[in-house]
Amino acid sequence: MPVKAPVGPNIGMILLFAVASVVVLGLLMLVPLRFRRPIIRAITFLGGLYATVEFFFPTHPMPTADDPKAVGNFLTFTVQPFGNFTNAILGWTVGLGVINLCQVHGKRLMKGGAGSFNSLAFFLSLVIMTCIGILQKAHPNAINKNLYEILFIGGLSNLDATMFSIVAFYIVSAAYRAFRIRSVEATLLLTTAIIVMLGQIAFGQMLTSWIPKESFFHFLHIDLIRSWILTIPNAAATRAIAFGLGIGGLAVALRIWLGLERGSYFDS
Amino acid sequence: MNVLRLLQEVDRRVLYVFLLLAVTLPFFVKFRVPVAISPPTKALYDAIEELPENSFVLFGPDYSAGTRGENGAQTEVLLRHLMLMWHKKKIRFGILAFDPQGKTLAQNISLRLQEEYNKQGYGIKEGVSWVNFGYRVDQQNFVRALVKDVPNTLAKDIHDQPVGALEVMKGIHSAKDVAMILNVNPTNSYTIYIQFMQGPYKIPMGLAPTAVMAPEAFNYLDSGQIVGMLQGLQGAVEYEQMLDTFGRATRASNSLSVAHLLLIGFIILGNIAMVLERSKQRKAGGAA
Repeated sequence: MPVKAPVGPNIGMILLFAVASVVVLGLLMLVPLRFRRPIIRAITFLGGLYATVEFFFPTHPMPTADDPKAVGNFLTFTVQPFGNFTNAILGWTVGLGVINLCQVHGKRLMKGGAGSFNSLAFFLSLVIMTCIGILQKAHPNAINKNLYEILFIGGLSNLDATMFSIVAFYIVSAAYRAFRIRSVEATLLLTTAIIVMLGQIAFGQMLTSWIPKESFFHFLHIDLIRSWILTIPNAAATRAIAFGLGIGGLAVALRIWLGLERGSYFDS
Repeated sequence: MNVLRLLQEVDRRVLYVFLLLAVTLPFFVKFRVPVAISPPTKALYDAIEELPENSFVLFGPDYSAGTRGENGAQTEVLLRHLMLMWHKKKIRFGILAFDPQGKTLAQNISLRLQEEYNKQGYGIKEGVSWVNFGYRVDQQNFVRALVKDVPNTLAKDIHDQPVGALEVMKGIHSAKDVAMILNVNPTNSYTIYIQFMQGPYKIPMGLAPTAVMAPEAFNYLDSGQIVGMLQGLQGAVEYEQMLDTFGRATRASNSLSVAHLLLIGFIILGNIAMVLERSKQRKAGGAA
């Protein structure tokens, strides 16, 4: 298939669609509540119908100059624009999230007191990161790129890693207090956990590495026992959970698609 | 407070200090303890080795810095192998991330490895041997579009170069031209690749999850939807051993090993103290 030359952002079109989206949202807000629900249900149903038909409808050969073996159906050509459309919707949801955060932290900042410093940090981070992000994209010179690197890799990435690393300390403390052989089940869990942990590390594997491979007792290698636990009982259990989740997910998806779901988001 | 009670209720700050020492000290000592290669690691290594010449691999670093300890090491060993395969069989790869940090983390690793291997005369070049497509949102819809038209869906790489014009993308039009998918992922979003790319187009897929997510992935390994898997940091250590390199995985795994031993030690100590205290109480109760 011929490769289209990528085009840069068309500011006029972006503005046009932004205005159109705001108008559509405004109109939706003006619609009385009792009509709003059927509109949302209809859009949800059409979206679900499109995805289902496109995925399950039989395909036939649709050869192109570059790809003579290409296959598709009557909706194949819409997949890429639909992907762009959902990207735009996701962009809107990010915007809504930002508005929501600004409302919450704005109120807290105005009120002052405990926590207002964190809200100030939020606003500063939001403004600085947004400005530098746009700057390094619009004017990718060394200063802007370095500033972005400092904020993104030096700041955000390291803060992210630090947050996750702290979990290790809580895990050690919690595991030490929780893993006690108070019942048969707890003993079973503790034994399994220790075998899996030892089998996972080099020092643990050294404990049984002296058993010769040709020996009848070769199966007592801790890494083999760990592997058996993970691939047989664990896989069976997770498979059962996955089946349950799959069926549950299908039921929920059908309920949402057909507008049968009840709850605060659907009935209010 | 008696000793048995003390051993059952060690202050959490004491545990934190021990853990801190257990994690940091091994970084200053360079040593390697040989590990057994697990079948999923071996299978992934073999699958990459058996790729036909001039193949294209789609590499997905879908993680952020939070799991860099495990996923970073996995990314490094896999990219190392792919660059070795460029030298051996002209295997190319494209990085596509569905996490905003993933594309930068993988880019930095790729550039570092490229420099390392080019000193040995491997001739690896961005845009020719590999490409970074950057970060994309909405994985499900993006992958559905990608499988039908790779260059037009991706449009531009991270340097704003048109993807279709890059030498590395020569002959890559749809999912049928992708020889393998490699996904480094701390969540279960790899199932989107299985649903919309691996399954319909029968593309071999390798997975590198964090150790905590690995148990879920065994089902896909059993069914053959995943050809091989690196189980957390330990998987990366095994892979480094197979590649005969001493990298960040082996260094980090020494810390992990000592931390695990520390945790096991404390758990055992706490339980022994509990059992002894109970038996003492029982005896005291019987005597009364």
